[in-house]
Amino acid sequence: MTKSSSENKHRPVVLELQNIVKTYRSGNTSFNALNGVDLKIYQGEFVSITGPSGSGKSTLMHIIGLLDSPTSGQVLLEGRDISRLKEHEMAQIRNVTLGFVFQQFNLLPKTSALENVLLPLLYSDVDKSLHHEMGVKMLTKVGLDTKLKNTPAQLSGGQQQRVAIARALINNPKIILADEPTGNLDSKSGKDVMEFFHKLNQEEGRTIVFVTHDQELAAQAQRVVVIKDGKISISKTQ
Amino acid sequence: MIKPSPSDLIKSSVRSIAKNKGRTLLTSLGIIIGVTSVILLTSIGNGLKKYVSDQFESLGSNVVYIVPGKVFNDEGGFSNTESFVTLTFDDKDISKISRQFKNDLVIPSTQLAVDVKAGDKIKKGRSLIGTTPEYGPANNSVPKETNGRWFTQEETDKNSKVAVLGNKIAQDLFGSVNPLGKKIIVKGKNLKVIGVVDKKGSTFGGPSLDDHIYTTIGTVQNITGNSDINTIQVKIKDKSLINKTKTDLEKLLLDRYEKDTFSVFDSSQLLSSINSIIGTLTIALTGIAAISLVVGGIGIMNIMLVTVSERTKEIGLRKAIGAYPRAILVQFLIEAIILSALGGFIGVVLGALGTLAINQFFPAQITPGSIILAFGVSSLVGVIFGVAPARKASKLSPIEALRYE
Repeated sequence: MTKSSSENKHRPVVLELQNIVKTYRSGNTSFNALNGVDLKIYQGEFVSITGPSGSGKSTLMHIIGLLDSPTSGQVLLEGRDISRLKEHEMAQIRNVTLGFVFQQFNLLPKTSALENVLLPLLYSDVDKSLHHEMGVKMLTKVGLDTKLKNTPAQLSGGQQQRVAIARALINNPKIILADEPTGNLDSKSGKDVMEFFHKLNQEEGRTIVFVTHDQELAAQAQRVVVIKDGKISISKTQ
Repeated sequence: MIKPSPSDLIKSSVRSIAKNKGRTLLTSLGIIIGVTSVILLTSIGNGLKKYVSDQFESLGSNVVYIVPGKVFNDEGGFSNTESFVTLTFDDKDISKISRQFKNDLVIPSTQLAVDVKAGDKIKKGRSLIGTTPEYGPANNSVPKETNGRWFTQEETDKNSKVAVLGNKIAQDLFGSVNPLGKKIIVKGKNLKVIGVVDKKGSTFGGPSLDDHIYTTIGTVQNITGNSDINTIQVKIKDKSLINKTKTDLEKLLLDRYEKDTFSVFDSSQLLSSINSIIGTLTIALTGIAAISLVVGGIGIMNIMLVTVSERTKEIGLRKAIGAYPRAILVQFLIEAIILSALGGFIGVVLGALGTLAINQFFPAQITPGSIILAFGVSSLVGVIFGVAPARKASKLSPIEALRYE
């Protein structure tokens, strides 16, 4: 059951999932990873998606992140169905609408922090002459303006994740999608990262979708969506 | 607008190649070897062609040769039938030809293999050529003033025992001593050296012209005891008449001799035959060398497949942040092309250096054409063998790629 707070009703819906089913087949057996999911993400919302492993939360995240297409159902981005676009069209939406933050950071090795941050711009329409300045601004925002030239190996885990957040923000996305962003960090760095997400949400009104198996972290969000057996079992606003 | 811009793509490819210098060099080795050998072989082929042309130019142009036997086959190559020659010409032919071609010079010559002695030195199996005063100028063989002279009409008429030596045989027999005025002994006859010809080099398939000894035709005929003539040269005045002259000469000789027992040709014909042989050889050898380019291309494909596996995570990430499949395809294709073009470039440099080195001992000449060809082919190899790995990369699913450890 989806329950939305009265506060959310005044906000526009950024992303809406309608009756999403994702079926994996292997040989003669098939398995529904998602079994009819309805979910609305409102603009400026900080929502966490949680659930035990195997619950389907990764699959849900892939579909929200346009990395995967549903077997049936619709994904509406600001009202437009984007679930069955061609691969290059999906790539473009990922580029300008979504910002990913991963558990493994996924920075390019032997490549400077600045260049890592600029990577999404390579695939965007942003004029090249603006890239450098934008990158420096983003790294300054995450407090790494002194580490522009450092490669990931020369940065701590927390710093690497901040580079990854700067990369996610560079194209000014509508939604930031974070998959266990603190999973590879010590508790102090993890806390810093969470605080940074809260700040982005509160001060800039960024929409953040945050996937974690950690109930305690999930509880920090405005709304917690719990997935179980491919369905949303709880969606509660705190 | 192209996304990403080509300059960004090239920059990122160069960087990823530079991260693995040792591997890059080993990968490119096949291409390097292939391109180097292609360049070297074409250089040698070209050098040979030029060398042969120069040699023919130094032999003198506008000369039609009449020799016994069938020299050329119908396709313009050298005939491989009948190398056993029995036919000889004689004075009758000379006077007949002279009557019909009044404006041209008719030069008979008779050739004999002899042992030459000077003092205590003996050189075996050298060519003694008996001929007329016109032979020297017609064949660019007149000694320079300081090196004596060619023999005169008077000496020819009197069967004078004079000799003009090729440069090498003069060296072999006399060393640093000036041979002019000295005696050489051929078949028991004393010949007086009156001239030494400048160095000319060898013709292909024949003895070195620098080993030849020239004397009056009567002297050689006295040695052989007959009045046979082996070769007739006709030096014509008007170059444009060369083909007509050849046809007319052939017709004239057919009155006395059977078809295919003699040949009438000019030096350009000989040159084009030799060139076509060298050309065929060069293409064949270059083709063999080009096989290593294919092997090199497979090496590049191999390493690119490894690279794609190694960078699966990077590909997944790039896709997640908005790289569309073609951007990934082009990125890896450019990397493969740069790898092989780099190999091609190093190969061209090595080939050029090798050509310079070979040129010290053997005629070799690098041409812009062979450089462009080798470079172009190696880049093409990069495209062909880069497509499979690049396609594989572009088709990776971002989810699986990101999960890849």
